[in-house]
Amino acid sequence: MSANLDPFTAEVIKNSLVAIGEEMFVAMARTSMSPIIYEVLDYATGLTTAKAEILTQGNGVAGFIGVLTFSVKSVIDKFGLEGLKPGDIIMTNDPYGGGGTHTSDVCMVMPIFYKGEIIAFSANKAHWTEVGGMSPGSWTTDSTEIFQEGLQFPCIKAFENDKPLQQLIDLIRVNVRTPDMSIGDFYAQAASVRLAGKRMVELCDKYGAEAVKTAMAMLLDDGEVRAKQALASLPKGTFTAEDTVDDDGISDDPIPVKVKVTITDDEFIVDFSDMPPQVAGPINSSITGTNSALRCLWLAISNPKLQVNEGFFKPLRLIVPEGTIISAQRPAPTSTYWETLLYSLDLIWKALAPVVPHRLSAGHYNTVGAAITTTFHPDGDHFTIMVEPNMGGWGAQVDQDGESGLFCSMNGETFNLPVEITEHAHGLMVDEYCFNPDAGGEGKFRGGRGVIRAYKILHDNGGTVTITLGRHKFPAWGVDGGHKGGANRVEIKKADGSVAGPYGKTARKPLQKGDVLRIICGAGGGWGDPKDRSKEKVLADVKAGMMSKEVAKEIYGVDV
Amino acid sequence: MKLATDIGGTFTDLVYLDEASGELGTTKSSSTPPNFAQGILDTITKANLDAKAVAHFVHGTTVVINALTEHKGAKTALITTKGFRDVLAIARANRPDIYNLRFKKQPAFVPREYRYEVEERLDYKGEVLTPLNEADVAKIAAELKAEGIEAVAVAFLHSYANPVHEKYCAELLKKHLPDMFVTSSSDITKEWREYERSNTAVLNSYVQPVASSYVQNLENALRDMGVKSGLHIMKSNGGTNTFELSKQQPIHLVESGPVGGVIGAKAIGDLIGEKNIITMDVGGTTAKTSLIEDGVVKFTTNYYIEKDPFNPGYPIKVPVVDIVEIGAGGGSIAHIDDAGALKIGPQSAGAVPGPACYGQGGDKPTVTDANLVLQRINPDYFLGGQMQVDPELSKKAYTPIAESFDVSVEEAALGVVRLADANMVNAIKLVSVRRGYDPRDFALVAFGGGGAMHAASLAKELNIGKVIIPFATGTFSALGMLMTEPMQDFIRTKVLPGDENGLAQVRDILTEMNTEAADFMRAAGYPEAKFSFKPYIDMRYVGQEHTVRVPADELNLAKLESQFHDLHEQAYTFRLESPVQFVNYLVTITVSQDPVDLSRFKPKAGNNAKPKAQRQVYFEGGWQDTAIYERSDLPLGQKIAGPCIIEEPQTITVVHKGMQAWIDEIGNIVIDTGVGHER
Repeated sequence: MSANLDPFTAEVIKNSLVAIGEEMFVAMARTSMSPIIYEVLDYATGLTTAKAEILTQGNGVAGFIGVLTFSVKSVIDKFGLEGLKPGDIIMTNDPYGGGGTHTSDVCMVMPIFYKGEIIAFSANKAHWTEVGGMSPGSWTTDSTEIFQEGLQFPCIKAFENDKPLQQLIDLIRVNVRTPDMSIGDFYAQAASVRLAGKRMVELCDKYGAEAVKTAMAMLLDDGEVRAKQALASLPKGTFTAEDTVDDDGISDDPIPVKVKVTITDDEFIVDFSDMPPQVAGPINSSITGTNSALRCLWLAISNPKLQVNEGFFKPLRLIVPEGTIISAQRPAPTSTYWETLLYSLDLIWKALAPVVPHRLSAGHYNTVGAAITTTFHPDGDHFTIMVEPNMGGWGAQVDQDGESGLFCSMNGETFNLPVEITEHAHGLMVDEYCFNPDAGGEGKFRGGRGVIRAYKILHDNGGTVTITLGRHKFPAWGVDGGHKGGANRVEIKKADGSVAGPYGKTARKPLQKGDVLRIICGAGGGWGDPKDRSKEKVLADVKAGMMSKEVAKEIYGVDV
Repeated sequence: MKLATDIGGTFTDLVYLDEASGELGTTKSSSTPPNFAQGILDTITKANLDAKAVAHFVHGTTVVINALTEHKGAKTALITTKGFRDVLAIARANRPDIYNLRFKKQPAFVPREYRYEVEERLDYKGEVLTPLNEADVAKIAAELKAEGIEAVAVAFLHSYANPVHEKYCAELLKKHLPDMFVTSSSDITKEWREYERSNTAVLNSYVQPVASSYVQNLENALRDMGVKSGLHIMKSNGGTNTFELSKQQPIHLVESGPVGGVIGAKAIGDLIGEKNIITMDVGGTTAKTSLIEDGVVKFTTNYYIEKDPFNPGYPIKVPVVDIVEIGAGGGSIAHIDDAGALKIGPQSAGAVPGPACYGQGGDKPTVTDANLVLQRINPDYFLGGQMQVDPELSKKAYTPIAESFDVSVEEAALGVVRLADANMVNAIKLVSVRRGYDPRDFALVAFGGGGAMHAASLAKELNIGKVIIPFATGTFSALGMLMTEPMQDFIRTKVLPGDENGLAQVRDILTEMNTEAADFMRAAGYPEAKFSFKPYIDMRYVGQEHTVRVPADELNLAKLESQFHDLHEQAYTFRLESPVQFVNYLVTITVSQDPVDLSRFKPKAGNNAKPKAQRQVYFEGGWQDTAIYERSDLPLGQKIAGPCIIEEPQTITVVHKGMQAWIDEIGNIVIDTGVGHER
């Protein structure tokens, strides 16, 4: 600790740094024009040191934890500190470098100068509704190269001398389907990184740059101390897990995936050496995403409620060769990368659940359930497009049943679309919206239930659906004798009574008037032998309609 | 005689105003849980008041919030549209605790087995697609009886657009089960979003049996004492309800207690011409802040109970005064966490054992202890000398923190006060800066036991020029309640284009709502001559989800639009060229009361204020010889310079170096912090 910084001032400055991070986060939601930002909170904001160490980060979704480090690093690597000037803002969405996860996630990085020196960086990464490409919304299940996935911003200056580069904006405007939203987000992101810059300067004016730097170092030290404490409380050893990804959306071949996790006194090592090579379809994930998965799980098993910074990630070591399905190289498509990022997260989870049961449940439905449904509004005949994630069942826990009807582990402060608003805005009728009581996830403690959400197409001109549901073929894993969960699937009840599907992934599938699109997510995995479940609980589930009498009898041995 | 009572966890406060004599009095008595009515009667008896002379009685109660947070309500059922029984449990499916992979939602107040479905369906325009199946309702009624259900909520899709099925279903239920408590969601709110509306109806049902028996008992007791009429209960929106309405819609009482202070601050602002106010209420366990703009108290319908950074909470879609609350009060405990960082709260020493200085077995260092170590609080004058506190115990409690950081006990205590201040500053920023307001345009009104101790330094940090410590600081919430008026809000959703056609429909809707509001208040027994109506429209840009609330006194399209653009820019930092839409309509009806006349409380004249003592007080920079004044000794208008301390039985006011303080015409302490700008 610096001799001239008393511990209380240090604490006030540390709190101020965290508050700046929060203010940036709120400002972004407040200034964005895109529902995916202000409703789904699909973005992250934060501050790093001049060495790209995360000081504070606000996330709306878990999958973005720690990603800003890599964005800032890529900026420093390209320009060097000496190549950056006051008033610069750099923009990147390069999935393979530090910039992005898929092209839709656009990151802005600003060097914060105080008296001629870079004292910090502020960064903001947000999901743009549109960056162009072959499919509306810029993601699809059938792209085979990144060139189909919209504009790429390869770590370039977007602002110089506090002024946006007009030619860049003109370029974006003609290349995306919703230019007002995308350019609106461009400005909203710039506003949030600048707000942080302004606050940092105020902080330095008040306490002096040296005091602020000392407080930053203390904040990172706090994180490191906490990380060591967390590591000490974890079981040591090597733990492995295997699983299978359904397919890449192009062929039907299942894709085997593996992890080896080693916890020592000093390190938390995740080894993905046995991951398969990148694939033809857009499920490839980048090294940035894999790092997020690792950080997310580390936080989950150590102290999920912590305000984190780079110091807390010091013990982490990631081993992954280049060019795998989770470290894809150019020009692999990555537009639905999240389905595979979820697997890297889920594999570490699966390896550790039996040994860290107080922090981890059994496997959950493990998909964002992202769907794009288009149709026409019966009132006014205008085209409507609905982009939404879907809810499913979470795994049972060592001491209680799993949670029903939640978004997946990569999401977070993600909200469902109310039925009343959906029907008004999109011209569909919600036919059904309830828990899915199908078999799956039985155990001493059972998995939570997935959700069925069904839409009836009302317009004469019909519509289309693009959807990607992971764990369609290989449901959520159980622990300690608990059964597997239920499969995720989509089916179309045709107006003539026939049923198309079930599918796991489909792109731009046509829908006719009267068709009912049913998105069905499965239960999470069970924990413990179903025979050990108390009779009262089985009877209560049957009474509540959360379990059939047949399952009660056949799996739990309880006559109702 | 007007009378207001505010029930807290420890004390029941009473404030009364005898209009004939002009006497304004306060008294306190111990709260008497679970039979809180007794505490109220005790205060009336203690103050030696003639109950028969009471013409207006206002009561702030925690009965609803307690029943909710303690989950001690009725066995409740829910009836929903077929296919949607799980809306209540799915909720919004969000996980604020985003890295917790053992996340559990807060459970629905109605378990699945008591969530029933009936065949019926409306579309979003409110048109009937499938009529209500009466046989389904009859069958459910029989099951409710068999299951011993005490209260039931009815919440159907799109009832905000057309309540016909909810009303009919409730009617049928009443016919089958005459003694059942029945709530229709559309009776509480006509805003869209099915989960939020259903949950609101469910929580109303859940608390209805306990709340109505509480209100009935209180009514009986007051009538027995001789109070004949004018019985009111504080609502969360800052107005009041009759006892009868409170029994039907108890959910409106959810924040019945805390809003009193905000209303009081507004009333004081009205009297002294301060229209822009930030309130800061520092109690034992929390600090609460709220913003009043241009004399208008802000309220929100985005209110939740049990929401925190890790839990989604339960939404209640009734208007609630917009208050931000943080865990930093006098009893909040300072501690060093695992990584060696200093933190305050949210743990509180509460009333028992209380701060270390109470000598009741608490040995944790609290904010109150810090103020005692710094000699800002006078140990011989705590609660006016009624309570003994021991500064040595406070010093002892601060020793571990001092040793850990290798500083003096005073420096440790000052550090904790600074950190508590920083937390309160952040809370004020949440209601101001984060919502597009500049704190410099506001005066800070501070009250509660600890408000006056911290206010001046908070104001300085935020560049607020003027601080007001109102008279009756310690019973300020009850005083605020005395100044409230009966008020009811009516809200409806209907999305309409922002053009003349749309506006014509808005005009019809607002006219209809005014009629509904007037009928409602007339039925509650209020005189029509005193009604006033305040309409608002929630507007948005086409394609956007969030709305901005626009005052709609004048239904002029150009004016509404320009107000909307301005307010949108203030709240969201940008304006668009896009067309606008009307979304929600809100009418607030108020029954005006004669204003409380405070002109009689003019402070004495003079210019001879003298310190009653000098004492060493610790500020940044060390001990300073500081003048100590007694508040009641201070004459009108005479300026005294900081650093000084102004003592009164219920609190102390800290005035820092470079500031000036004086007493204004109605007995408030005013502090000029010297950092303000021209407003």
